[in-house]
Amino acid sequence: MTQPTNTHKKGWYEVQHRVAPYLFIAPFLVTFLIFGCYPILKSLQLSLYATNGPKSHVFVGFSNYRFLITDPDFRTAVWNTLVYAFWSVFFQLPLALGLALLLSQKWIRGRAILRLAFFSPNLMGQAFVAVLFGILYVPQYGLVNRALHPLMPHLIPLDTKWLQNPSLVMPALVLASLWMYVGFNMIYFLAALQAVDQDLYEAARVDGAGPWHQFLAVTVPGIKPVSVFVLITATIGSFQLYELPYLMLNNSAGPKNAGLTIVMYLFQNGFVTGDLGLASAIGWSLALGVLVISLGQLRLTGTLRNEMQAGKGGKAR
Amino acid sequence: MNRDQKLSPGRIAAHILLFAMAVVVLTPLVWLVAATTKGKNDQFHYTFFAPTITAQNFLDLFKKTEVLQRNIWNSTFLASITVLVQLFFSSLAGFSLAKYEFKGKKPITILMLATLMIPGQLTMAPLFELLHRLGLVDTYLGLIIPGAVSVFGIFLFRQSISQVPDELLQAARMDGCSEFGIYWNVVMPVSRPMTGAFCLISFMGTWNSFLWPQIILHNRELFTLPIALSQMVGVYSQEYGMLMAGTLIAVLPVFILFLVLQKEFVAGLTAGAVKG
Amino acid sequence: MRAFPYGKAAFMFVVLAFVSSGMLFKNAATSRAHRLPAGARKVTFWVFADTHYEAYKKSIPAFEAAHPGVKVDLQLVSNNGLAARLQNAFLADLDVPDMVEIEISSSGTFFRGPLKDIGFADLTERIHSTGLWDKMVHARFAPYTNRGHIFGLPHDVHPVQLAYRRDIAEQLGIDVNKIETWDDFIKVGHRITQLNKRYMIDLSDSGGDNLETCLFQRGGGYFDPDGKCILDNETAIKTMCWYVPLVAGPNRIGNSLGWGQVLTKAVEDGYTLFLFCPDWRSRSFEKDIPRVAGKMALMPLPAVQHGGARTSTWGGTMLGITKRCKEPDLAWALAMHLYLDKPQLAERFRQTSILPAMSEAWNQEAFHEKNAYYSGLALGDSYARLAPDVPFQYTSPFIGVAKAKLGSALVACVQEYSAHPDRDLEPFARAELKRCANDVRTLINRNPY
Repeated sequence: MTQPTNTHKKGWYEVQHRVAPYLFIAPFLVTFLIFGCYPILKSLQLSLYATNGPKSHVFVGFSNYRFLITDPDFRTAVWNTLVYAFWSVFFQLPLALGLALLLSQKWIRGRAILRLAFFSPNLMGQAFVAVLFGILYVPQYGLVNRALHPLMPHLIPLDTKWLQNPSLVMPALVLASLWMYVGFNMIYFLAALQAVDQDLYEAARVDGAGPWHQFLAVTVPGIKPVSVFVLITATIGSFQLYELPYLMLNNSAGPKNAGLTIVMYLFQNGFVTGDLGLASAIGWSLALGVLVISLGQLRLTGTLRNEMQAGKGGKAR
Repeated sequence: MNRDQKLSPGRIAAHILLFAMAVVVLTPLVWLVAATTKGKNDQFHYTFFAPTITAQNFLDLFKKTEVLQRNIWNSTFLASITVLVQLFFSSLAGFSLAKYEFKGKKPITILMLATLMIPGQLTMAPLFELLHRLGLVDTYLGLIIPGAVSVFGIFLFRQSISQVPDELLQAARMDGCSEFGIYWNVVMPVSRPMTGAFCLISFMGTWNSFLWPQIILHNRELFTLPIALSQMVGVYSQEYGMLMAGTLIAVLPVFILFLVLQKEFVAGLTAGAVKG
Repeated sequence: MRAFPYGKAAFMFVVLAFVSSGMLFKNAATSRAHRLPAGARKVTFWVFADTHYEAYKKSIPAFEAAHPGVKVDLQLVSNNGLAARLQNAFLADLDVPDMVEIEISSSGTFFRGPLKDIGFADLTERIHSTGLWDKMVHARFAPYTNRGHIFGLPHDVHPVQLAYRRDIAEQLGIDVNKIETWDDFIKVGHRITQLNKRYMIDLSDSGGDNLETCLFQRGGGYFDPDGKCILDNETAIKTMCWYVPLVAGPNRIGNSLGWGQVLTKAVEDGYTLFLFCPDWRSRSFEKDIPRVAGKMALMPLPAVQHGGARTSTWGGTMLGITKRCKEPDLAWALAMHLYLDKPQLAERFRQTSILPAMSEAWNQEAFHEKNAYYSGLALGDSYARLAPDVPFQYTSPFIGVAKAKLGSALVACVQEYSAHPDRDLEPFARAELKRCANDVRTLINRNPY
């Protein structure tokens, strides 16, 4: 690397310095415009058509949306997705945080091994977890029943049909998703806990705060940003549920559509029946729902955080 | 922190709880391994391992599904290419956002945040149409190009690169280093933990993805492992041992990668998520 | 490593990318080597059942020998998503095979939209001009016919019998010869069923598969010949009200643990004694539950009433030739070889136990052979005797929805009956089926084509 000497080189140097940020971000902008923006707008248009595969279109106005509102299957799909999202996030986050809190204690032996154990299920994709749990859940001989029946002989008979009984499909799904995702979120919390300034604990201890007060005064505000992040990604993730129920229920929506999710409904209508228009309408409904819910979560947690910061004068980022 | 090394009853209870939970979490995986070693008619006669262990499931797997060897390489190819492409473009964009002031930076950042919230399923139908018109359906390009830049990756890199001291960059500029030279010679070498973490995240994402490849790929010779496995579920639904053997083969590489990259992974997430 | 800025981890992926590209090139090269030189004639043929696949693999060399220079590329593909993939490929002009076997429940999917969009070639002309129409069981053409055009050749007849654990039945003093009607069967069922331990019959309370077979036996179904949904007619309601107490409530005699090795274990353990057994399933049992060989037997399905038909139907396969097939005559010749050549059919029966749709083939030796697994029964004859009574079934592009709806209605009725076994199920079942049928009709009316 030598110092630029002549003016021509200097000019080039200036230009590349000014152009660089645009060049660097250009690939993102280009792919985003072509494969993000265009399809988003296109799907808005497509949702007004009835289609038979990508070749034939018939304009039908808002008929797709009208159909969705009245379709009982769509309602089932929305309900199932909401129920799943609620319960999986409801159990996932406290469990993940609890594990992280324990594992961040220096006196725990074998932390590396424990961390690996809890995280390992996440290394399997949803598709593989689905196939595995599809077998673990079988009645009479499956591992889940063999393990739970002796613990709760009356509540869970040996021939409990987790995946054939419509009221058990959702618990089965939530259980499998917990197995998969608790460890993943635990890693985020662990990272957040490690980043909390240790001096703050020291200061709190000097002030005479017990462990519980330390937790409330130091830990909670310290891990707040990560918690919000985990909450929102976990929620968005559960709204996109598809592989897990679809493969676990043997390529179907399960008994009485108990495992039908919005994305599965979208896939079946768009890519099985070939109605890409209806699929687009479903996609828009899903996107709006996710947007509303995550904005709501942001607002809720954001205002909460602002109040706390007003009281304590925490740092901005 | 290390006030006393003694184990109080509370601490012993905590250990018991944690290790018991770890056992519960690992049990399905142990069962999975056990299932691959059991013969067809012994699958449910023994809860875990049978007295005699057989490799028949793996032999059947490769014999009956002639193309499985292909599926493994297909998945490897697709995932590693995707990792490299995403790594390059995402870190470049992250660098741009972290270290430059330029017109349109703010709207672009907001745009990116918005895309994180829009579920990809929204665009599946028109994207399929678009790729169909571009002739990219049933090709790997149809999978690689639309996902060439990972927004999540941009955020990760923006975060880690913003912690690189500006003095380093200025010093390089003094030496006449070009902006890309700075990226290549200065910024990326000090961002290696994040690079490692991102590689793993990106690899796992592609290796395990199912829905979109299932829509785009039609030719059996192009199938990835998850699609091949779901096909096997259809044809050999009776043979759990074989299915589990297929699953094990699909999971093993990710496991090994994770073991190798574990340190970077956690370090990267620490950098990325805490301040995110 | 200094020259590479991304570090060891990323470098590993560079290596992986290179190695896997190499393997992909190698694989592509082997594919090309297997591909035939330009001008060679090839028929690509997809099948979804591994039993068919194994059997065709054996009988295709004879065809290739009779047609020099012709190569048949037989591929086993999963029925999961097969219909979706193929339909997508038809609609998006992607590569499709020359010939495909399609499962009866998804055949209707392909008849959606204008006739010109249907991906299968119209075989009506060929079937009538070659006299095929008179050689095959007519009932089996029905599901593959749409708007008067026949798009598929029937592979099979699929009469249903009951398979049962002969040894346990004898121990329990069950005389199957005395079981003529379902009433007889249920009476025995009540005597020997012990809840959560032993059930008379493998019947599903969560999916419509078994219910559908019962519905067909009573002359019901999903659609009438004109494609109108008949899920809520009196037959359907009556069948539902009869079926639900068999799988739910305190007096149930049926339960189903599922498929795969769960079923294997359930049969081995004597958890379920009788099972619906169409011809194709009789072979699955032989293959998958070898430990009960010689302890199994078959009996005709109990009749709905005295003198009624002692069978029904479950499943089926059609063979279609795609419109994009370049050599339809060659494909047709292969179809004739596989579906109509008598010695071939006999040989294949020995491998699959499936009764072919061409009735002339049934008098061959293979169909009279005694089967040791089923306690020395002449398997072919036992099914062939019932073939004339196999009920018609009709399909529609909306068959998938209709099937799902019937399953949902069943589950709803099972829940209702389990909660209130003393209540009359009929009004509930009627309302439930009505709702399902109306949902299907809404979908049919929405279709703008």
